[in-house]
Amino acid sequence: MGIVVTGVGMISALGVGVDCNLVSIRKGLSGISATPKILKTGNKLPVGELQMTNDELHKLLTIQPQEHLSRTALLGIWAVREALKNANVDYSKRIGLVSSTSVGGMDLTEHFFEKFIEDDKAGRLRDVRMHDCAASTDAIARHCGINGYRTTISTACSSAANAVITGAKLLKHNIVDYVVVGGSDALSAFTVNGFKSLMILDEKHCRPFDESRAGLNLGEGAGYLVLQREEDAPLYYCHLSGYANRNDAHHQTASSAEGNGAYLAMADALKMAGMSPENVDYINAHGTGTGNNDASESAAFIRLFGNNIPPFSSTKAFTGHTLAAAGGIEAVLSVMAIKTGCLYPNLNFNTPISAYGLTPVCKYTDCTRVDSVLTNSFGFGGNCSSLLFTR
Amino acid sequence: MKCYIDRVTTEHDVVTDIKLLIPDAGLRRRMSRVIKSAVTTAVECVGGIENIGSYDAIITATGWGCLTDSERFLRNIIVDKEQLLNPTPFIQSTFNTVGGQIALLNHNHCYNVTYVNRSHSFEDALLDAMMRIADGESENILVGAFDEQTPSQHRIMERMGIFRNINDGEGAVFAQIRAHRSAESIAQVTAIDFPAHSLSKQECLEKFATSENVVLMYNTYTLHGLYPTVSARCFAEATRLIQNGTKEVIVYNEYFGATPTVLRIQCVG
Amino acid sequence: MEQLIQELKEHLIEELNLEEITPEDIDAEAPLFGDGLGLDSIDALEIILILEKYYGVKLANSAEAKPVFQSVKTLAEYIMKNRG
Repeated sequence: MGIVVTGVGMISALGVGVDCNLVSIRKGLSGISATPKILKTGNKLPVGELQMTNDELHKLLTIQPQEHLSRTALLGIWAVREALKNANVDYSKRIGLVSSTSVGGMDLTEHFFEKFIEDDKAGRLRDVRMHDCAASTDAIARHCGINGYRTTISTACSSAANAVITGAKLLKHNIVDYVVVGGSDALSAFTVNGFKSLMILDEKHCRPFDESRAGLNLGEGAGYLVLQREEDAPLYYCHLSGYANRNDAHHQTASSAEGNGAYLAMADALKMAGMSPENVDYINAHGTGTGNNDASESAAFIRLFGNNIPPFSSTKAFTGHTLAAAGGIEAVLSVMAIKTGCLYPNLNFNTPISAYGLTPVCKYTDCTRVDSVLTNSFGFGGNCSSLLFTR
Repeated sequence: MKCYIDRVTTEHDVVTDIKLLIPDAGLRRRMSRVIKSAVTTAVECVGGIENIGSYDAIITATGWGCLTDSERFLRNIIVDKEQLLNPTPFIQSTFNTVGGQIALLNHNHCYNVTYVNRSHSFEDALLDAMMRIADGESENILVGAFDEQTPSQHRIMERMGIFRNINDGEGAVFAQIRAHRSAESIAQVTAIDFPAHSLSKQECLEKFATSENVVLMYNTYTLHGLYPTVSARCFAEATRLIQNGTKEVIVYNEYFGATPTVLRIQCVG
Repeated sequence: MEQLIQELKEHLIEELNLEEITPEDIDAEAPLFGDGLGLDSIDALEIILILEKYYGVKLANSAEAKPVFQSVKTLAEYIMKNRG
C-alpha cells in the first residue's frame, strides 16, 4: 500500500510558514543570528531563533495567553495547523498525530526550577505543567482538531523522522485515515548549555561538510507532514516510499568512523522502496557541522554510493540544528524539493573535508527535475533514520 | 494483530550481578539509578548481553525519561551560572538513553525507538512492536518501560495535589515479544486498543472478552502507585496470571488525565 | 609534582565516577584512553573541566589536548607549566 504526503507545515528561524521558509532559502538568507535575543542565557553563541516571543506566538495562534503553553507546543501548533489546512483534511475522518520533541516544555521548566531550587514551595506550577514530552503533543492535538490516535516519540535528533515512520505504519494498519507526523523543539538554556558542554557548538556560523567546520548552531522550529493512504488521496505531493531506523551502536554520543548506522538506515530505506542508489536525485543530509557527524555521514555516502554520490546538502546553516524538529523540517524541505524541482544550497562551504573530498550543492538550483530525495536524521544513542520521498 | 510473549521481567526479578549484566564499566559508571535499573532489567529479561543480538527491534517507553540527570544538569546550569558544566548528565538525560545503551552493550544495529507519551507510552511501544510483526519487519522484539521517582518530581506532584488518594511509584519492565509461538511462549496479546472515551467494567468485558474465563484488571495500577508507565507493571501481572492458569486477562488502564488503553492477553494453549 | 599527581588521580576517580579504582591502581604513566584507564571522548571533556575548575588551566582545542592527555603524568606536567 502506498503512503503519500498531502500536506506540509513548517516554522523556523527562517520564518512562519512553508512559503516564507522557501523564499528565504531561495534568496540565500540564513536564519542564524549572532546571539540569542529571546532565549534567556548568558551564552553569546549564534542560534537559529524565531524572532517572536511566546506571548506573540499565543497571539499569532489566537490562543489565550492564560493557557501559558510551552514554546515547543506553540511552534508545533503553527506547523500542524498549516499542514492540516494544506492537506484540506476532512475532519469527520480519523486524524492521528505522531509528534516528537527532545526538550518538551523545558523553556518553562527552566523558569520554575530557578525558584524551586531555592525553596521547594516556590516556582509557579503552571511553568512545570508542560514539562514532559507528551504535554506538547496534547496541546497540539487540542488546538488542531486531532481526533484519533496520538503518540509522542523522543530519540534525540532523529525524533521527527521516527515519527514519520510510525505514522506510516498507523496508516498501513488502518488505525487512522490521516496522520500528522513530525516534530517540534524550542531553543532552551538546557540544550544550549548541553551542546556547549559537549564542545560542539561553533562560535561562528556553522559550516557543514567544510574542512574548517567547528560545530553546530542550535535552532528551533517545527515541521510536520500530513500522510495518507494513496487510495484515499487523489492529490498529493509525493510518496513516502522508504524509511528505516538503524542503530550505530558505537558510542552514546559519537558516530562511528565508518558511518555504520547511517549506511544501514539509508541502504534499508532504499531497499524498502526497491530502489537502487543511482536513482537518488538529492540527499538532504543530517550535516550538523560537527567534525564527527559530517565525517561519519560522508563515509556512509561513499560506502553506499561509491563514486556516484548524488547532489547533497545540509540545510542546517539556514535553520540551525532544530534537534527533534530537524527530521520534520527537513522532510518538509525534501517534499518541496520534489514539488518545486529545486536543490537547496549548503551555505558556508569552501573546502571539502580532506579525507573524503565531497562537495555539496553550493548554489540554489531550480528548474531541475527531482524525483527522489533521501533525508537523513541522526541522534544520540546511535539513532539513525532515513526517509525516502519519491514522485 | 497479535504477538507472543516469551518472558516478562521487572526490576524486582533482576538477580544477576550488575557487573555481569552491564560488563562495560565505562557505560556503567555514567548510569543514573533509573538507567541502571532499566538496562539491568532488559539484560536479565533477554538472559545476558550475548542474547541482545538476536533481537531485531528494541522499543522503549518512558513518561518522564531520565529525570535525575535532567534535574542535575538543570541545577548545574543555574548554580554554576552556565559555566564549566559537566556534559554527562546532559547526555544521559536523553529519552532514548536506555534503548541506546542496550544496543551498545552488544552492538545491535536494529530498529531502536522510544515512546514518551505519558500513560500510553508502554502501550504505544507495544503497538509499534505488533505493527512491525504484522508487517513482517520483526520476529523478536524487546519492549520495555521505565520511570523513576525523584524528590523534586514527588514534591512538584504533591504540590499539584496528585497524591491525595494515591502514592507515587517507579519501575522497569521488559518483555520478550515474538512474532511466532515458541516453546517458551507464556502468553499472547490478541487485542490492543485506545478507546476515545472511558469504558465501564461492563463495557470492557462486552467489547473485549472472548470467553467466560476472563479476569478483568480494571485500573489496577493503583496497587503499584502512580507513574506514567505503571501500566507496564499491570501487563507483567497479567502475564503472571496467565502463567498461573488464567485463560484470558483484560487490562484496562486510565490515568494521568489521558484516554484509556486496553490490552487482551490470552494463554497460548 | 608527586602530590599533584596524587591529587589528580583523586579528582579523576571522583569526577569520572571510576568504580572500585583507588589512586594506587592508576599508573601515572599509563595511557588514559583506550587500553589504559579505558576513558573516552566524554571523559576527555570532563578532564578539561577538572583542569579548569581545580587548577584554572584552560585547554580549548583538541590538537593541543592530545599530547597533554597521554597520561596522568603529562596532565600534571601541563598543569605545572600553565598554572598561574
